[in-house]
Amino acid sequence: MIQSGASRYVYWLPTLRKEDAPLVGRKSANLGEALRLGLRVPPGFAVSVRAYEDFLDCTQAGSRIREVVEQAGVDLESIEKLERLSARLREIVESQPLPAEIEDALADAYRELCGFCGRENVPVSTRSAGPVSRPGQYETYLNVVGAEEVAEMVRRVWASTFNSRSLAFRLRHGLPLERDPIGVTVLKMVNAKAAGVLFTADPNTGDRETMVIEANWGLGESVVSGEVTPDAFFLDKSTGQVRQKKLGRKVRLVTSAERGVADQETGWERQSVFCLSDAEAEEIGRLGRALEEHFGCPQDVEWAVDAEAGFPENVVLLQARPAVIAERKPAAEQVAEMLVKWFYG
Amino acid sequence: MLSPAYDLTFYEYDPEKDPESYGVLLCDFNHGKPPMKPLYMGLGWYWYYHGTRYGAETLCLPTTHGWDSRFINGYPYITAIRTTEEERKLREPVFKEKIRPFIEDFNGVWDAYKTELLRVYTEAKRSRGLVEWQDIRKLSNHELLDFFLDFAYILNRKEGEIHFVMLVAACYLNGLFQQQWRELLGVEPTIDPRFARCTAGGELEHQAAMVARELWRLARRAVEMGLEGAFAADPRETLRELSASEKGRQWLDEYREFLLRDGWRCQRMHAYDTPAWIEDPSLALGEIRLLLPQETFAPDAERARVIREREATEAEVLAAVPGPRREAFRLLMRAARMAGYWSEDHSYYCDLYIGALGRWIVTEFGRRFAEAGCIDDPEDVHFLHPNEIRKAAIPMGRINLRPYVERRKKEWERNLTVEPAPFMGDISQAEAIIRSDPSLLVSAQHPIVREELRADLYGAAAAPGYVEGVARVIMTADGLAELKPGEILVAPGTSPAWMVAFNLIRGVVTDGGGAFSHAVIMAREYGLPCVAGCVEATTKIKTGQRIRVDGDRGVVYVLDG
Repeated sequence: MIQSGASRYVYWLPTLRKEDAPLVGRKSANLGEALRLGLRVPPGFAVSVRAYEDFLDCTQAGSRIREVVEQAGVDLESIEKLERLSARLREIVESQPLPAEIEDALADAYRELCGFCGRENVPVSTRSAGPVSRPGQYETYLNVVGAEEVAEMVRRVWASTFNSRSLAFRLRHGLPLERDPIGVTVLKMVNAKAAGVLFTADPNTGDRETMVIEANWGLGESVVSGEVTPDAFFLDKSTGQVRQKKLGRKVRLVTSAERGVADQETGWERQSVFCLSDAEAEEIGRLGRALEEHFGCPQDVEWAVDAEAGFPENVVLLQARPAVIAERKPAAEQVAEMLVKWFYG
Repeated sequence: MLSPAYDLTFYEYDPEKDPESYGVLLCDFNHGKPPMKPLYMGLGWYWYYHGTRYGAETLCLPTTHGWDSRFINGYPYITAIRTTEEERKLREPVFKEKIRPFIEDFNGVWDAYKTELLRVYTEAKRSRGLVEWQDIRKLSNHELLDFFLDFAYILNRKEGEIHFVMLVAACYLNGLFQQQWRELLGVEPTIDPRFARCTAGGELEHQAAMVARELWRLARRAVEMGLEGAFAADPRETLRELSASEKGRQWLDEYREFLLRDGWRCQRMHAYDTPAWIEDPSLALGEIRLLLPQETFAPDAERARVIREREATEAEVLAAVPGPRREAFRLLMRAARMAGYWSEDHSYYCDLYIGALGRWIVTEFGRRFAEAGCIDDPEDVHFLHPNEIRKAAIPMGRINLRPYVERRKKEWERNLTVEPAPFMGDISQAEAIIRSDPSLLVSAQHPIVREELRADLYGAAAAPGYVEGVARVIMTADGLAELKPGEILVAPGTSPAWMVAFNLIRGVVTDGGGAFSHAVIMAREYGLPCVAGCVEATTKIKTGQRIRVDGDRGVVYVLDG
């Protein structure tokens, strides 16, 4: 892969290591590390944290944001005020044109990616990559096409650091409201047959001998958002084999549209079968085990199965981060929790 | 206008406000039919409704404060007092702590409560110098009233509270077990024979089974002593016969020991108007007579098989549960089985013993009031309220209680002819209400109709197995004498008063009762096929018809008719 090494704004994934998290955010850094382990990751690049910081400084957006935040005097109780503040701050970020140097760096990187993939206008995903992991706080944009749109979506990912849930989080934790610099990970979109998550320990029970895969047809967004009951696979960590699987209720799926993504109903024939073969599930488990061994703690992994590649090359890693896994709970406590959940049906 | 409830303002029904507040109120057919008499409603039953709230608040149930209840035309209607969303959040962590002991050792919790109840009951008798049923006559009016007040406000209250703490925990654990069964195994538990096998008893013998064994032992003794001939169709004649011989008197001494310990039970639960065994020794003689030909105690023969089948089924089911969830499922399965054991064991310590003590006291008041001219008939006492008994007890003979009795008796007699409406309000809200308080299911069933089976009745596959035979429809425990060995019992439901029947029959079909009811637990214990909750079994099936009971699938076929 060609390196545009001069840029402070863009880094190619294979050049990154986990120590680079402050530079490009943890998501990009971890993917770089995974590539070094020989794991399969879609081609892509990282937009540095510096790019966002320079954007804020050069465009004066940073100082305007500071002013607005100082005037606002927000308190946690008032969700409405927080929402209003969020809208104003995002508007400030989204209305500023990118400085030419950043825009050029993004356009160059995108062009190189298209060249690498051997096609024009290759669709990509743009995801936030904070130096500190903030799962679920910031926006992700999928199936982004063309250099202009990539620039636009990078800016929107930045702006999402001012969404109301992130503001509330920073308020509650006494962090500065006016900035939370992040990087952006830009990956070639996988035309996913199926996708989902893998926990290298059972998040429900804390059992570290079991890996759990949750999977649905199409893109992984339907699994992450919890909109459907996905298929579940339980893998024995020591043997790597599927020990148990449970058919989900996969009534909907998310798939790429012409632009962005669309929610679809799933046909009956695809609801009634598992969306992964056991071999695919075990290959996903193998990625997870390699990551856990390397990083030294249970991992929370997003993966996809590429519809356009053959096994096992079709199983690719999209994201890995340390999993928040509770200590194994006593069975009685698990039953008490099940009772509580049962109240909501 | 409010609907009156025998002058019990606590139970008056507001046809506008109540459905508005609660959405829907459901008729409790299980306990309320035939209609209760006013004294029991105001005394014993009162503490059960108190108990539902006490249980909900003690365990800090997240979604309910317990039941609210009304009486309409003499029939009880119940609903949940739901919590708000904020309350739920606050109660949830507390509930998780409170429920733990029940999950870990359900029977340990119950054993402590059971001991306490028995101590309270026996102390109430001992402190007053009472042993035999007749002893109560020795009390002065003042002492009798004192006993009555202790009964009403201390014994009965304690019983109601313990009863419902246990019942709520039992219902929740059983409900969760059923839900988990559905989720992890993908089968509706009430029609899965494996479910019945896994919840079948085994290692512990509950009180009802112990009493059944005692009755059988007494029958064996009578055979050993050559007294079989003394057991006549009329139990009074049996008593006379036995009293006439040395051996007979010796046997009666043993029988009396049994009654003093286990005879505190009335023929009907949740009422004071049927006699207790200790009161009328002839009552259990009929049951003993039926057991004379039984050389072995049926559950003994079945127990080993029931346990073996349960253990094999448990292992099979656990293997199908995903590994990470297996340990919790195993624990839940055990807790649910113990809850099932409890539901059979508690009847004596909760419903039966306390009911017999109540009968003891109010029957004596009835006798004294009638003798002193306050009422016409001792039985009229059942139409009084506790406060009227207080009013008339000490100036014995000076208060005319007839006006209270007359109008309530007339109303009660009219209610006997009324078919109660199944619900009041918006039935579409019933599911949400039951979800918020699953203990309401103690009083409600929903049979699952499966057209493809082309059955005559659909119910719950309560105890596995398959049997064809002659039906015997019996509406109350008084009718048990008609039962012939080898018949299939068809009943509205059963209570411990019915238990002798299980030694004779080959299968059971009931109108009411879920996976948790007396008939079902007894059927599992005795290894009999059982279909429960058919709603109209006793109306659709006629005595003498051949029927086929499919306890694996929860359906009944009428083969001729």
